[in-house]
Amino acid sequence: MKKQTANSVKLGLFVLSALCVLILTLYLLGKNRSLFGSSFIVKTHFKAVNGLIAGNNVRYGGITVGNVRQVVLLNDTVVEVRMDLDQKMRQILRASAKASLGTDGLVGNRVVNIVAGAGGAPLVQAGALLASDEEISTEKMLQTLHRTNENVAVISEELVMILHRISQSVQLTELLNDRSIPDNLKASLLHLRETTEKSSALMSEALLTLDAATKGRGTVATLMTDTAMALELRQAVGQVKTLETDIQRLTAGLEQVVASVNEDMNRGPGPLHTLMNDSLMAGQLRLTVDHAEKGVASFNRNMEALQHNFLLRGYFKKQEKAKKKANKPAE
Amino acid sequence: MNFPDATRVFLNQTGEISRFAFRFFRQGLRTRYEWQELLRQCYIVGYKSLPLAALTAFIMGLVLTMQLHPTMVYYGVEAMIPAMVGISIVREIGPILTALIFAGKIGSSIGAELGSMKVTEQIDAMEVSGTNPFKYLVVTRTLASVLMLPVLVILSDAVSLYGSYLGINLYEQVQFNLFFKQILDSLAYQDVVPAIVKTFFFGFAVGIIGCFQGYNSSKGTEGVGRSANAAVVVSSVLIFILDLIAVQVADLL
Repeated sequence: MKKQTANSVKLGLFVLSALCVLILTLYLLGKNRSLFGSSFIVKTHFKAVNGLIAGNNVRYGGITVGNVRQVVLLNDTVVEVRMDLDQKMRQILRASAKASLGTDGLVGNRVVNIVAGAGGAPLVQAGALLASDEEISTEKMLQTLHRTNENVAVISEELVMILHRISQSVQLTELLNDRSIPDNLKASLLHLRETTEKSSALMSEALLTLDAATKGRGTVATLMTDTAMALELRQAVGQVKTLETDIQRLTAGLEQVVASVNEDMNRGPGPLHTLMNDSLMAGQLRLTVDHAEKGVASFNRNMEALQHNFLLRGYFKKQEKAKKKANKPAE
Repeated sequence: MNFPDATRVFLNQTGEISRFAFRFFRQGLRTRYEWQELLRQCYIVGYKSLPLAALTAFIMGLVLTMQLHPTMVYYGVEAMIPAMVGISIVREIGPILTALIFAGKIGSSIGAELGSMKVTEQIDAMEVSGTNPFKYLVVTRTLASVLMLPVLVILSDAVSLYGSYLGINLYEQVQFNLFFKQILDSLAYQDVVPAIVKTFFFGFAVGIIGCFQGYNSSKGTEGVGRSANAAVVVSSVLIFILDLIAVQVADLL
């Protein structure tokens, strides 16, 4: 009898444990489907629900807060979705919230996503109608994609043409095949760098000079900063100006003189005019010059004769000797 | 009616079993219930079978997970292993595996026990002494297996899922909470309830076939062995047939 009681206890334990597991499983499943918690209904309208069915999850902020109780076709364009939400959502969900359709993962179940709207709206009432956002339909996406694809096709064809022309271009090929270009480019770049370095050095020197200049050292600085010198310079310039006016006056005077000379020469009664315009006198003058030439020639002959004259020969010889003496030491 | 011999035997046996089952209901509903004997049978049929059922279930869960793992990794859906294992164990593997083990252990023992009682004419003696042998032997045993198999299945499902949890943890670290959350997320009432309901029928099949084979055994000690063997074979086949019906009924729901 005692053994039988022990067996019954074991049996009871066995059965109860299985019952506990079953009840726990069913309870947890029910909790997942929110069958036991109290809930309230919220409605929303869509044009199309794209496969949403009763039992699909409702999410708020990505957290499952209820499920779809019913999907009803109200009229030819409106589908009403009635959702059971957890009672605690009454303290959270506001009337401005918006419902939209989504998919759980890439290929998962349909879900209704509720997103908070503008703040400050009153808390939602049971049976309230939430605003909805239509889903971007796959068809629309595909249509857009189709247009994009066509554009891409056109672009790619043109690209092919361009590339073809590039590949056919002999010059470009030569340019590309020329091994020396990289070297040249490198050298150029090297030079460029040197130049840049130099110019930067130059710039820094210039900066230094400018610095020094502004700080008052060197010629430029003096030039730029010495006020006394500026005064002198101004005076000098003033003098130069007066000099210029003097010169102008002088030039004017000279012009007058030249003009009067011209006048005289052309028309005046003076000797110059006679000299230049009287052809008779020119002939006489030429005769005179002729005579003078003849006179000089004969004079030369006389002088020659005089040189060879015994009275004067000694003097000329002495002169020649002195000339030779003077040249010798120089050699 | 002219049937080939084999068909005639088969039909004859089917009719006998049906009559036997009907007799079970009729006798079982009648007053004067054998509570003590029922509890004793429940203890033997249920509690004593738990270690065996739990062990096979544990190994099954572990092995199933390990077998699934490479393929699931290949398809990049390792995260779906708990859901997949959970559904397959709760819906199918748990009930079927436990029922088959149950048929092997309990069906054969009932067949052998009743067979030997029949051959040694203890049943006839019982009848003479005023005890209803059918009620005392058949009803209690069948009822015990009807009641105990669901219990066993529920427990071995739990053990099996734990084995699967350990199996996953061979490869990667998965929290216990997350694992069972994923399983519960993937399950619904329509997964659990039909699976549990069909185990009652499995239990009934095992009990009634075991009793029938034992109760109708003949030809001495040789018949005892044949009864035990037939009890296991027929109840196993019946379990699969019932499973086929169950899945179709569950599909309708």
